[in-house]
Amino acid sequence: MKRPFDVFLAVAAGLMLAFLLLPLLALFLRVPPGTLLSQLGSDVARDALLVSLKTSAIAHAFILGIGTPAAYLLATRRFPGRDLLVTLTELPLVLPPAVAGIALLAAFGRAGLLGGTLETAGITIPFTQAAVVLAVIFVASPFYVRLGIAAFESVDQSFLEASRTLGASSRRTFLRVALPLAAGELSAGSALAFARGLGEFGATIMFAGSLQGRTQTLPLAIYAELDLNFDVALAVGAFLVLVSISVLLAVKFLPSWTRFTSTSLFAGAPSRSS
Amino acid sequence: MYAAASLTEVFQAIDPNAAFNFAGSDDLATQIKENAPADVYAAASPKYPEELFKAGLVEKPQVFATNRLVLIVPTSNPAGIESVADLGRKGVKLVIGAEGVPIGDYTRKVLENMGATNVLTNVVSQEDDVKGVVGKVALGEADAGFVYVTDVKPVAAKVRAIELPDSAQARVEYEIAVVKATDHRGAAQEFVDRVLGKDGRRALLKAGFGLP
Repeated sequence: MKRPFDVFLAVAAGLMLAFLLLPLLALFLRVPPGTLLSQLGSDVARDALLVSLKTSAIAHAFILGIGTPAAYLLATRRFPGRDLLVTLTELPLVLPPAVAGIALLAAFGRAGLLGGTLETAGITIPFTQAAVVLAVIFVASPFYVRLGIAAFESVDQSFLEASRTLGASSRRTFLRVALPLAAGELSAGSALAFARGLGEFGATIMFAGSLQGRTQTLPLAIYAELDLNFDVALAVGAFLVLVSISVLLAVKFLPSWTRFTSTSLFAGAPSRSS
Repeated sequence: MYAAASLTEVFQAIDPNAAFNFAGSDDLATQIKENAPADVYAAASPKYPEELFKAGLVEKPQVFATNRLVLIVPTSNPAGIESVADLGRKGVKLVIGAEGVPIGDYTRKVLENMGATNVLTNVVSQEDDVKGVVGKVALGEADAGFVYVTDVKPVAAKVRAIELPDSAQARVEYEIAVVKATDHRGAAQEFVDRVLGKDGRRALLKAGFGLP
């Protein structure tokens, strides 16, 4: 009785896996590796790589710098409206990217909500790298905040209490106890957010436009080169697949690796202070 | 029916029941090369239909309409653009079609004809089809953009069109062809005939196109 069902499960899993992997494999088989490499050196690909790296790095600094304390607050404090707040920060996760694009235009565009204020301050955001950075932060930060909340929640609360009863300030408790203990899962969240930001397309093309060397990121370069030079598009695509695989490996192995080192470090701490 | 983005309104008027895929002519050509299930291909330039014809993917293309380029600005005209010459002023945000996209190539041709290629330094975005240019100007995010005269009507309340001199115009010809791999040859030929026939010509004129 059980056997046919097991066969069904195996077939379903096999189909699923084949469907997911075949297109990615095809990307690499379509053009020889040498061509892929040389196309990655083309002007368009190089410019896009630089734009992507620069905007992703700036966006990521903001995501980590603001997202970490925000996640800590949402994980450790209980206050009215907290659940609503957590849900709201998750909204961009499920929002279609095109909606993110027009929403950003509606807020920061010249004719947008803050457009007039920004303009009098001499700032215009659409069509600039700042627009790319905002789009990346908007779509990627929820990934980090969401995993960050989970990371801080999974830290054993008795450690935090112990730290406080031993006289550490809440700032010191955050920096010396909570942060090291959550570091592994925070890194995983950080890697996921970085990957999502690097792949950002819909919001960027609507809000920042597409100009080589300025706002044309790697995904936008794929779109622009699709008809002009399919090989460049393929090469950039293959490159992004490799980045994604590295991120996935990082997400898988970072938490267990740092959990091991940080807990062993922490294990020595109480004995020293006692 | 795979048709250039600039044909969106007029083709829907010619045959409201047909299933359309509107996009940049170049993207559509790529899709047809990749065996997309197209029956008819209508492009905003002869370049891609002729290419596909040489590759044996479509029947002999026929010219069915012509178009002109205009410069559009948001109704509020924040940069005070009155002519192509104004586009060269510092800080003007100009949006054009990307190279390789018909509207992008025509725009460069027009600027060349006017000896005004210097305004290209003010380009803030190169869009993948003409609707991207129209949208960003109509939203008021860009100061100006080059589009086909037929794109102006649907957004007439939001943009103002500035005519370009005849001497500057590029030859914008639309070509249509039946895709050889079609499973619906009869219906495809019927649609082509309708576009080339009296009803099609009337609808094209009404939408602002020229006739060959």
